[in-house]
Amino acid sequence: MGAFQWLMKKITKVFGRSTNALFYTLLYREILKEINEITKKEEDSLIILREIGKRAAYESCERHSNIFKFMPGSPKKVLDYFEILWVVVFGRELDDYSYEEIPKEGSKYNDYIVKISKCPLCADYGQDNEDTFNFNKLKDKKTEGLACGLCGMLESVANFILKIKRNDYRIQIVEQACIAKGGDCLQFICKIHDYKSWEKLMDSRSKERNALKVNFGEYLEEEDIVQETKLDIIDKLQDVISIDKLEEYLDEPLESIKERVSDIIRDKLNMEPDHFFDYFRNYEDDMIKIIGYLGTHLLNEYGGLLEKSLKNEWFSKVFGYIFRQLKEMTLLFIPLDVIRDYNELLVSFLDGLAPPEMVDNVKQFTGRDTINYLFEGAQMALENLGIEFSELKENVWEELKKERENGLISSETTPIDKTRERVPQIISIIQEILMIFNDILTLPIRVLISESHYGLKTAINSVVSEEEGLYGSIRERFDKIFDQIEEIRK
Amino acid sequence: MNFSRKELVKTDATMNQMRNSIHILASFMEKNGVSDLKERLRKMGQNIAKTYIRYWKPTDSVNSSNLKDVITTIYQKILNSSPSIELNDAENLVKVRDHNCALCKYHYDDIEIAGCEIILGMVSEIISLINKESNGITSLIFEPHEVPESRAYGNKTCIQVYKYRIGGRG
Repeated sequence: MGAFQWLMKKITKVFGRSTNALFYTLLYREILKEINEITKKEEDSLIILREIGKRAAYESCERHSNIFKFMPGSPKKVLDYFEILWVVVFGRELDDYSYEEIPKEGSKYNDYIVKISKCPLCADYGQDNEDTFNFNKLKDKKTEGLACGLCGMLESVANFILKIKRNDYRIQIVEQACIAKGGDCLQFICKIHDYKSWEKLMDSRSKERNALKVNFGEYLEEEDIVQETKLDIIDKLQDVISIDKLEEYLDEPLESIKERVSDIIRDKLNMEPDHFFDYFRNYEDDMIKIIGYLGTHLLNEYGGLLEKSLKNEWFSKVFGYIFRQLKEMTLLFIPLDVIRDYNELLVSFLDGLAPPEMVDNVKQFTGRDTINYLFEGAQMALENLGIEFSELKENVWEELKKERENGLISSETTPIDKTRERVPQIISIIQEILMIFNDILTLPIRVLISESHYGLKTAINSVVSEEEGLYGSIRERFDKIFDQIEEIRK
Repeated sequence: MNFSRKELVKTDATMNQMRNSIHILASFMEKNGVSDLKERLRKMGQNIAKTYIRYWKPTDSVNSSNLKDVITTIYQKILNSSPSIELNDAENLVKVRDHNCALCKYHYDDIEIAGCEIILGMVSEIISLINKESNGITSLIFEPHEVPESRAYGNKTCIQVYKYRIGGRG
């Protein structure tokens, strides 16, 4: 699994609202039973459950649309990232699954069959007295099974991604086998439709729903809606920074990355790379600041999380102090040789892309300059996002003292106790971050050594293997950090 | 070999889509003439409890001395919530304030029902079933009372109120 795919899964999981999985499964069962109380017909209940799943997922996607801009925009790639779809919908890892491609003549895309050997929804179904929805009553054996609601959710998320990526194709996901219905696994068939065949499918689904003797209100036709939202920075960059593209970039040597960047500049900005970089000649410091500035804003593009958090006065202050501390400590603790390595990496990157004069100017920067420029850019972005750096005190203790005098920090024991409970997790997170920091310090020299022959990923994994190398180590640490965050959020 | 329900007790799942599903279901029920919506949602919770208790229960008996702890444990273990709990001995009420309700987050205009009615039904049923099994004379009778505030109604938190009676076999 690629690094970005893994990161996407982790982020989606950590920021969802989770409960115990058995509660989820039983609630799902109860929803189906309630629907069946109304329809009194099992086949119809499954159709309604699928619609509820579709609508629920669509509502969620609309609220967090920015996350999906990082997803790949082609239907085939969306299916390649089926695991992420599953995590988005279900919030748990997809255990033991396989998929096969079914050739489809005369069509641009083939069909796919996804087999999942363990289905949490069907777990022990039929063994408790309350499992009253009776699959034996289904007359049409082709009807979907218990996971049809989940299927609706998956289809909705996949098509939301395609819509947001302005792709004309749509994916139909249908449950073909269900363990509760007697199947040996959960099986989906995924069919990719062009606009015309999708319209036909929508028509037939509409007829099927209209034939039901229940009132569902207006059905969701989200696939027909053309997105007419204002383009933000992620919209503009989504073609080049979606997770599949980022995975590809990591596999390339530095030279190839430079070629790709050149192509992007030619393609998106209609100018030659050296012309583009020429705009920054004699303003190289500004260019580095822009990297820090844009980097911070890009971080905020994940659902505007940073901006939302900084709206809280206290959090904004705490973040401001941490940032300021980091700015000062970075230069104290990172050996200048290491910073120089990063500088050399930047020079190697610009060499050939930017005019020679500019490369010479960047060579004049010391590592300290580069770090300071990056932090200045990031600080400007953080000010935009709501941190008032000018209002921060000399140090955090003075701030705390002042707040205590004003009585703004609650003296109630409960929140303090809760915070105290979280201290071990917070310490673990800090510890893991420091270890990652150490790991990353060794990165530039590896990249420089391997730049002419191998990709960035090779440099990252240069120790032994993907699992045991730097990548494996960083990933393991992030795993621990995400686990701790999940604990804190409970 | 598929998952067992016992295994599911040890893992988590994300509720975001299910939370939306509850609202859509309630709206579907209302459109199709279900008049006792609140009772139906509570019944869903009770059914969940009846199955759930076969795979996990917080304790073997609930009485006035451990009531708060039991409720806290249920909320934490099943719903991943850390609510604050107040006992009102005069009126025999237990007020649970949950800032991060698993089933309510957004305010909907089209329907006035809180998803946490399901929680109300589930928690009271778990406690009732535990006491039914334990058969202790100091046990509590525990019932759903009301959801006076909910994020689904536009409030900042959800408040679930339960009514109790100390009455043993009742």
